[in-house]
Amino acid sequence: MTLSLADPTWYPIASSEDLPFRHVYQGQLLGRELAVWRADDGNVNVWENRCLHRGVRLSIGINEGGELKCQYHGWRYANRSAGCTYIPAHPADAPARRIQNRTYPVREAYGLIWSAANDEQAFRPFAGAEGYDWFALRPMPVNAAPEDVLAGLVGLAPDDQPADLLPGLAVRFGGTCYFVQPVDAGRAVIRGLLREPPADTLATLRHYNEILSKLRDRLERSAARKPTPEPLQPTFEKLSADLATMPDIAIPRGNTITVVVRRKWTSADGVIGFELAARDGHLPTFQPGAHIDLHLPNGMTRQYSITNGPGELMSYIIGVKQESASKGGSKVLVETVREGDLLSISEPRNNFPLRRDAIRTVLIAGGIGITPLLSMARFLDKSALPYELHYFTRAGETVAFRSELEALHGKIIFHTGLPRTEIGTTIASALGQWSMAQHVYVCGPGPMLETVRDTAAAQGWPEESIHFEYFRNDKVIDNSSSFDVELARSAMTLHVPSGKSIMEVMREAGLTVPSSCEQGACGTCLTSVIEGEVDHQDVYLNDSEKRANSCMMTCVSRAKSARLVLDI
Amino acid sequence: MTITLYDFELSGNCYKLRLLMSILKLRYDIVPVDFYPGRQHKADWFLRLNPFGQLPVLKDDDLVLSDSGAILAYLAKKYDETGLWFPDDPAISAEVLRWHAVADDITSTASAARLALGFFYDFDVDKAQKSAHRIFRLMDEHLWFGEKAGRDWLCSPAHPTTADIACFPYVMLSEEGGISRQDYPALRRWTDRVRRIPGFIVMSGIFPAGRALED
Repeated sequence: MTLSLADPTWYPIASSEDLPFRHVYQGQLLGRELAVWRADDGNVNVWENRCLHRGVRLSIGINEGGELKCQYHGWRYANRSAGCTYIPAHPADAPARRIQNRTYPVREAYGLIWSAANDEQAFRPFAGAEGYDWFALRPMPVNAAPEDVLAGLVGLAPDDQPADLLPGLAVRFGGTCYFVQPVDAGRAVIRGLLREPPADTLATLRHYNEILSKLRDRLERSAARKPTPEPLQPTFEKLSADLATMPDIAIPRGNTITVVVRRKWTSADGVIGFELAARDGHLPTFQPGAHIDLHLPNGMTRQYSITNGPGELMSYIIGVKQESASKGGSKVLVETVREGDLLSISEPRNNFPLRRDAIRTVLIAGGIGITPLLSMARFLDKSALPYELHYFTRAGETVAFRSELEALHGKIIFHTGLPRTEIGTTIASALGQWSMAQHVYVCGPGPMLETVRDTAAAQGWPEESIHFEYFRNDKVIDNSSSFDVELARSAMTLHVPSGKSIMEVMREAGLTVPSSCEQGACGTCLTSVIEGEVDHQDVYLNDSEKRANSCMMTCVSRAKSARLVLDI
Repeated sequence: MTITLYDFELSGNCYKLRLLMSILKLRYDIVPVDFYPGRQHKADWFLRLNPFGQLPVLKDDDLVLSDSGAILAYLAKKYDETGLWFPDDPAISAEVLRWHAVADDITSTASAARLALGFFYDFDVDKAQKSAHRIFRLMDEHLWFGEKAGRDWLCSPAHPTTADIACFPYVMLSEEGGISRQDYPALRRWTDRVRRIPGFIVMSGIFPAGRALED
């Protein structure tokens, strides 16, 4: 029998007890090295043992509970998806969603961790597995061909109890099952299971360990007399065409994902929590600060921040403010969507990335603006990085996500019902004077964001250290101008009349233009400007970005000059 | 007291002393000795300190000591007020010394393979690797049954001793000698525990572990 790299059989690759809290186990199956780790939520991850960045083994990395951090340059990967969540060399940027490590199928059963080279076969209990409380023996690595190891195990069966061969390199006799994990062509691990826990655990474990050690020594002596088998040569698959080619200039809205409303509850007066769960498996990787578009039953699309902590991908939890029914979006959600309903969401996008290299991180939330900051606090918390979270609520408003915030270890300060003047001084003292590597993140109502931005600037905070996210653009959009836009790549010139946005005109001309909020808040329609003077009306770009005149939001911003040349 | 360590940064045996002194919060001076490529440990001035021509050497005021295991015992007995790192109990002292001897075996195998592959020493790599695997196998078995019996460390007390410090560095550096620890899961878990001892410090090739518990 020769081993096949494509063998779809499920084999045990570790004992459950090999994966204690915050450990990374190093394993191998059919020539492929594996990094195996249990997240704090109990989920077991089986990944290719190789960081996508420089190929360093992830098994020497750090299990942070919700993310695995590579030891070399600190790239982090999320529990379940193995998607990259942070690249320290680019602390201000959100990593591309497509940076995702290879994962292998995994099941935990009978005290063992099982995996397979591919997911062509569903996991099935081995014959006769049901009805017993299986007990794992000490695994025994053997430097011999897996088929020889199996033959050796068959030879252990007493004469009156003939060995029963099971599919997938396994054998059973009496109350004992032995599985052979094919590590490589010349290496195997014997994983034994007893039908029930023995009365004298230690003595029994030592007894079997002795039998298996002797078998191992015999097998290794005979393997040493044979030629060493050629190790398996797994190939690392080439980069997908998707990753190797430049993306299209106009990215369509992206795929939507159907989620089920698993839970809907009142988190605070006027704030409703929604738990949106994947129907099958897990949801895509997100980073702290990310949001999703929610496609509502009435045809509207609204953005909501994900509040989850690292590696929490089985569902996204969002908070919806009841009265902010500006265009009827939140109202529909709150009033008509019930538990069990299906909704469409976009993949997460991140316009509000969190740096994890700051000496000091200040998070400032106003009202429902707590949602992205709760996620940030949870990420910093898991990595034991310091932060201060100031949460401002109006008098009479109750604090949303209070129990979630109280479960954190950082400095969480609630400010309730402060008069306007006091809000300013509280923000000023919360910020303090700026010094190297301090960052502030703020999300809340427009006036509060302005206060934080102005106060921070006055206290010496440079623009790149002030990070903000607007829920919406409260400015009145002046769309009275009319001008021409020249689309350099599309080789067309369009006239934008007053009353219509550049985006609307481009869509009428048949172009596919990505967009989301369409009010200058989310950053989705960011476009490079080649020539002309922009009339910025968005709240997404900061002042120096606006002054640079090199990019714009086509959904609300317009031209001061008669002609604009865009890189579209 | 003035402690001076004659030290080579890439030496696991010197690191053992830096590690214990960091755990015990001892202040010390370093005199760098260029083991490779300078071979200063065979220079006359060094041979006058240690005629065996081996690192590390530690000076405590006028007292000159050599051999990493002996110095670990000295530091623990002299400066560890808790008495935990090298316990006085005769049976436990014997247990600790037993593992100090294993540490020397690890040095002559795993460290030798590393010197051959990384420092161009003319050693039999294959033999060194095989012998290291034989020791690691025994350590893994000892530690696996230790975990089953509720013992986290090499010796029987409920806390680490100099035995753990003595065996740790060249286990962690084994991959530089081409010795994988994939087949020794209990040994790998023990290295996590050592790396979580308060006061732990790193050296080139020895990385920190993640936090053990949520506080």
